[in-house]
Amino acid sequence: MMAVKWILFAVLSSVCFNISLQDEICSSPSVTSNIYTTTDGVILSDIAFIAELVVTCQNGVKDLALYADVDGVTIPAMKSLDNNKYQVSWTEVPKKVQDGVRILRMYDEEGYSALRKVQRSGEDTSSIRPLFTVTINHQGTYQGPWVQSELIAVLLAMFLWYLAYSTKSRIQS
Amino acid sequence: MFFRYLCAVVLLVAACGVSSGEDETVARLLVHKRILNRFLVEGKDLVVDYNIYNVGGSAALDVHIVDNGFPEDDFEVVIGMLKIKLDRVGPGNNVTHTVVVRPRSYGFYNFTAAEVTYLPSEVAQDVQIGYTSEPGEGGIAAIREFDRKFSPHVMDWIAFAVMTLPSLGIPLLLWYGSKSKYEAIIKQSKKH
Repeated sequence: MMAVKWILFAVLSSVCFNISLQDEICSSPSVTSNIYTTTDGVILSDIAFIAELVVTCQNGVKDLALYADVDGVTIPAMKSLDNNKYQVSWTEVPKKVQDGVRILRMYDEEGYSALRKVQRSGEDTSSIRPLFTVTINHQGTYQGPWVQSELIAVLLAMFLWYLAYSTKSRIQS
Repeated sequence: MFFRYLCAVVLLVAACGVSSGEDETVARLLVHKRILNRFLVEGKDLVVDYNIYNVGGSAALDVHIVDNGFPEDDFEVVIGMLKIKLDRVGPGNNVTHTVVVRPRSYGFYNFTAAEVTYLPSEVAQDVQIGYTSEPGEGGIAAIREFDRKFSPHVMDWIAFAVMTLPSLGIPLLLWYGSKSKYEAIIKQSKKH
């Protein structure tokens, strides 16, 4: 009798667990993103990449656990205290930053564990479909002027002096 | 650079309430707050980075970081959240969070620690309260001061060129005028 009770409990709890898991899956999310990358390499020692996301699920699911996969590196998304916003951010050293587009492949808890499994076995991760993707475009890092303006001014002044001097010696000869 | 050294020195143990002799199966978070700037300049980006390490033996749950160190009057938040939460930080894991703000004015500013709270284990009832490291005091330069040192000075050089133009241009014009007049006389005398 006791064993039957335990089996019944196990079945019921697993059903409840499944239902609760299914409830947490976000269906057809609409995403509003606010993207920013820092570009001033003169004053900053690291370049920041930040994506702020507002995710609205069609089935009204909130408080998601989101993970971003950027070029094979997984970054967990931070949440705002009111569960309204998510943020994915990281920093890179200016010398190693590559300009152009990065794609953030966003996964929920389920997608993330599938991704981890595939990563561990060394297979291709592109088979795991993300919940949604976000694009970050880094337009380049300003490292200061290519040529110092003082140098240009000196060259210009020397050129003018040369012109004047050569004209003077032409007249005198 | 000054900031980096300072940050490294004042790295505080967020889980200060848990001594090393106690149970090692609880989570212990170290949160390093850094300012990733070479220069702090009024009205320009200031990157604040929080590096969260879990050096404990268990996952930290319901992690909250609240930073009240950038009040609205002194800083404009460009992007990022100063109050965040994270469901879980696994043992041995580290997570980073970055915020970009802009100082509204110049002068010395004391960058203080943010508050960290979390549950040190699955069974824990009491919330562990700690603080991040403290970046310390930093001087925010005025934009005009910074430009004087680091801008390309293109406008300054153009102004310099305009100012030197009369002293070079007027003699040149006078000389050119007399030269062309002289050449015209020579030409005329050759015709006759």
